[in-house]
Amino acid sequence: MTMESEHPQDDAAAASDKLILSLHGLKKHFPIKEGALQRVVGQVRAVDGVSFDIRSGETVGLVGESGCGKTTLGRCVSGLTDPSDGAVYFNITEGDRDRVDALRDIPDEQRSEQEREELAALDEAHCINQLNEQARRHYRRNCQVVFQDAFASLNPRHLVNDIVGRPLQVYGEASGSELTTRTVQLLEQVGLGSQHLYRYPHQFSGGQRQRISIARALALNPELIILDEPTSALDVSVQAQILNLLHELQRERNLAYLFITHDLSVVRHMADRIVVMYLGKVVEAGRTQDIFERPQHPYTKALLAASPDLSDDTDTEIPTLEGTVPDPAHPPQGCRFHTRCPVATPACGWDVDDVVRGLENQENLFDGLSAVNRVSPFEAQLTFDNEASARALADTLHSNAISASMREALEEAVVRDRTINIRFNPAEEVELTERAPGHIAACVLDPAAR
Amino acid sequence: MMSEGAEKNPSKSPAPVVASVADLQVHFQSKRGIVHAVDGVSFDIHDGETLGLVGETGCGKSVTARSFLRLVPKPPGIDAGGSILFRPRTTCDACEGRGCESCHQTGRVSAGCSACSGKGCSECVQSGEETLDLMQVSNSRMRSLRGDRIAMIFQDPGKALNPALTIGSQIAEVFYQHRSAEVLDAANVDVSGIDPGSLLLKRQAAQQSRTIERTLLKIPPLRSRRNQITAAVDDMVADALAETQIANPRKIMQRYPHELSGGMRQRVMIAQALACNPDLLIADEPTTALDVTVQARILELIHELQQRRQTAVLYISHDLSLVRRICDRVAVMYAGRIVEISDADQIFQDPRHPYTRGLLAALPSATQSRGKLAAIEGTVPELVDPTPSCRFSGRCPNEVETCARFDPHLQSVGDEHSVACFIYHEPPEGSGGRPTLAARSS
Repeated sequence: MTMESEHPQDDAAAASDKLILSLHGLKKHFPIKEGALQRVVGQVRAVDGVSFDIRSGETVGLVGESGCGKTTLGRCVSGLTDPSDGAVYFNITEGDRDRVDALRDIPDEQRSEQEREELAALDEAHCINQLNEQARRHYRRNCQVVFQDAFASLNPRHLVNDIVGRPLQVYGEASGSELTTRTVQLLEQVGLGSQHLYRYPHQFSGGQRQRISIARALALNPELIILDEPTSALDVSVQAQILNLLHELQRERNLAYLFITHDLSVVRHMADRIVVMYLGKVVEAGRTQDIFERPQHPYTKALLAASPDLSDDTDTEIPTLEGTVPDPAHPPQGCRFHTRCPVATPACGWDVDDVVRGLENQENLFDGLSAVNRVSPFEAQLTFDNEASARALADTLHSNAISASMREALEEAVVRDRTINIRFNPAEEVELTERAPGHIAACVLDPAAR
Repeated sequence: MMSEGAEKNPSKSPAPVVASVADLQVHFQSKRGIVHAVDGVSFDIHDGETLGLVGETGCGKSVTARSFLRLVPKPPGIDAGGSILFRPRTTCDACEGRGCESCHQTGRVSAGCSACSGKGCSECVQSGEETLDLMQVSNSRMRSLRGDRIAMIFQDPGKALNPALTIGSQIAEVFYQHRSAEVLDAANVDVSGIDPGSLLLKRQAAQQSRTIERTLLKIPPLRSRRNQITAAVDDMVADALAETQIANPRKIMQRYPHELSGGMRQRVMIAQALACNPDLLIADEPTTALDVTVQARILELIHELQQRRQTAVLYISHDLSLVRRICDRVAVMYAGRIVEISDADQIFQDPRHPYTRGLLAALPSATQSRGKLAAIEGTVPELVDPTPSCRFSGRCPNEVETCARFDPHLQSVGDEHSVACFIYHEPPEGSGGRPTLAARSS
C-alpha cells in the first residue's frame, strides 16, 4: 500500500486545511469469553485496520450497514474506548503524520532502536490514548460527540442549564452569572433561548433535545464533533432543521465533523468525503461526488442502489444483495464482501468457512459432520459419520449449488474414507488501491483492466 | 360466509373496496385533557392495492392502523366515533380462485350480506356484501378476523415474535386458530364421525384444551392421531415459510427468534401474517429496523407476495421515497388528519398541500446545496383539545387568518386527488380571506 492511497485526502483537501485527526490502522477487537474461567475463545473484529484523516472545516461521512463497526470507530476516535491496535493521532502536523506512517509500516521487530524511540516520542505527543493528562484534557475539549439517542444521552435529572453549562464549569471557563450568559448564548446558537434554561430534557421534543446535545458539544469550542447518527431518530422535517443548523455552525466555526450514518441521502447532502465500511474494514473512500457518481466497490454500488431516492424511476427493480453480513468474529478471507458480492471472482479469497456459509441452508448436508481439522483458513478436513455424507458434500461442491467463482477457486475436494479434504486457492487480503485522485477502493476488480 | 351473494357488483369502480374508514376518531385520555390522536380520518382501500399512509411521528398513522384490529388499548384509548367497514372476501365461484373477469383477476369476491342476501340493506350500507364494522363487531368475531382476514406486520420483528416459542410453533398457532378444519382434513382425522378422540384433537388444535384433555391425548391411539396433526401442521408451516424465500424452512422452524437475523425475523413475521391468505395486510413500518440492503429485499418480497395473492396492503411509513416506490395510492397524515390523498405518482409529481410540499422539500438530495434544506419550521402541535383550525396552521408558509379559525376538509381537486386546504377550496362564510400558494415566502 502506498502512502498516497492510505491518505487520499492529501489531494482532495486544500493544503491550507489543518490536519486535525489522523487514524492509523485502527483496530478494535472485542474478546469472546466462555466458560467458568472466562477464557478468551475468539475476537469480534469490530474495527479491523482503518486509516483516514480529518481536516479542519470538512465533513467526513462514515457509512455502512449496522454492525460494520462505524459506531465503534466513533467511540475509539472520541477516546471512549481504547483501540486494540493502531492509533488515533491528534493535532499532528503533515510531516509528523507521514513520519508515523513510515515508521508504523515497518514491522515491529525490524525497527531500529532509534526508530522505535522516534515513534514512541511521536505517540506520546499525539496518540490520543498515550497523551499525558494535560494534553488529554486538551484533546477531550476539542473533540466532542453528539449521540444518536438524545433521550439517553441527556441526564433526565439535570436541567438544561446544567447540561449545557457543565463543560464550561468543568474546564473552568466560566462561573456565576457569566456561566448563565454563556449558556444562553449557546442555546441561542442552536435555536433555543433563555426560556429553556430551567427545564428538564423530558419537556423537549426529539429535535429540541438533539439541539441541546449539539449546544453541549459546542460549549468548549471544539475543533471536531463526532456525530453518531444525529438525525436517525428524527422526522424528515426536523432532520432538515438539524442538518441546516449543523451546516450553519460548521461555516461559522470552521468545525470538522465525523458524520456517522447509515442514511446515504443525508451523507450525500452533508459530507465532503465519504468512507464506506464493511465488516470493520474500509472498502471505499473518496470525495462525495466521486463515490456517488463513480462508485468503484461492488458493495458501495449495492448500497447506493438499495437506498430509495425520490429521483429514482419507480418501475426499475431494486437490486438486492444476497445473504446476510457474515459474523465479524470469523470474517471471510480476502475481500470480506465476496460472500455476497454479485461480481465475485475466484481470486476474491474463497475459504473453507464459505462452504459452510453457502451450504448451511441445504437440507441435512452437514448433519453427519463429526470432526473438523482446519489446516489453514483455506484448507480443512471434514470428517463425517459415513462416507455417503462426505460424498454428498463433494458432489454438492462440484454442482451448481455453489457459485461458479467459488467452484473455480476450489482446488481440491477429495473424499478419503469418511473424510473430505477441501482446499481453496489461498488469497491475500485485498488492499485499498487508488482508482482516481483521492478515491480509493479495495476490490480485486480493476476498472482499468476491464 | 355465504356463497350465493358471491356474484360481482358491476356498478363498482375497477376494484371493489375491501375496507372503508369513515370519519374515524380515536382519542386518548391524558392528564392534560383529551388527546385527539386520530381525528376524522376517512379513506378506502381497494382489493389488491397498496395504500401508503405517511406522516411524521405522532400524526396518528399507527393508531389508525391498529384500530383495524382493535389493538388500541382502552383505556386510555376512547372510540370517539366513526367506523371501519370491512368486507371479507371468499373464493370466486366462477373461476375457483384462478382469477376471471367477474372477480377482477383476484380470484376472490365479496361474501354476500347475510341479512339481505345481496339486495342491499342498512346493515351492509346498501352494498349487498357482508360488511363488518370493525369498531362494533363482537370480540369473538374480531378474534376470528385477526390473522385470518386482516393481518399485521409490526415494526420491530424482535419484539413482535414471542422469544419463548420456536418459529414453527408461532406460525402453527395461526393454523390451529383459523384453519383447524383444514388441519384435521390434511391429517386425515375424521371430525364428523362419532370418534370421541376427534373432539379432543379439535380442541387441542384450536389450543382450547385443558390439562386433563392433554393428558387423555397421551393415550396411544389418540397420540398417533395427534402426531398426524402435528405433521400436517408442520407441512403447512414449512410451506408458509418457503413462500417468503426462507431457505431450509424445516430447520428454521426449530429455531428461536433470537437465533435469526433481523431480515429473517421480518420474513417470519410476513410468513405468519400471510399464512391464512388475508384480505388486508397492515404493514406498520416493516423495514424501519432493517438495513437498506435488507430493506430492499423485504420490500420486494412483500410486493411479490401481494401481486401473487392480490392482497390489499395498508403500508405505513415515514419514508417518502420508499412509499413512492411501492404504493399505488398515498395518504399523507398530519396531526390526526389526512391532509392529502391521491395516486402515488400524482402526489409526488404534483403535491398540493403545503405540508406535503414541505415534507418532500425537506428530504436531503444531491441537487440542494448544503444548509439550504427547506425545513418545516416549528413542531407538530400537541393534540390536546384542539380548536377548530387547520392543524398545519402555525407551521404553514401560506397561512392566512382564515386557517386559524376554520377547519379545512378533504375535497377533491381532480382525478382521485383530494386535499384539505383552503388554497384549493372556498373557505366558509365570514372568513378572513383565502390563502394562495403565491404567499409562499420561499
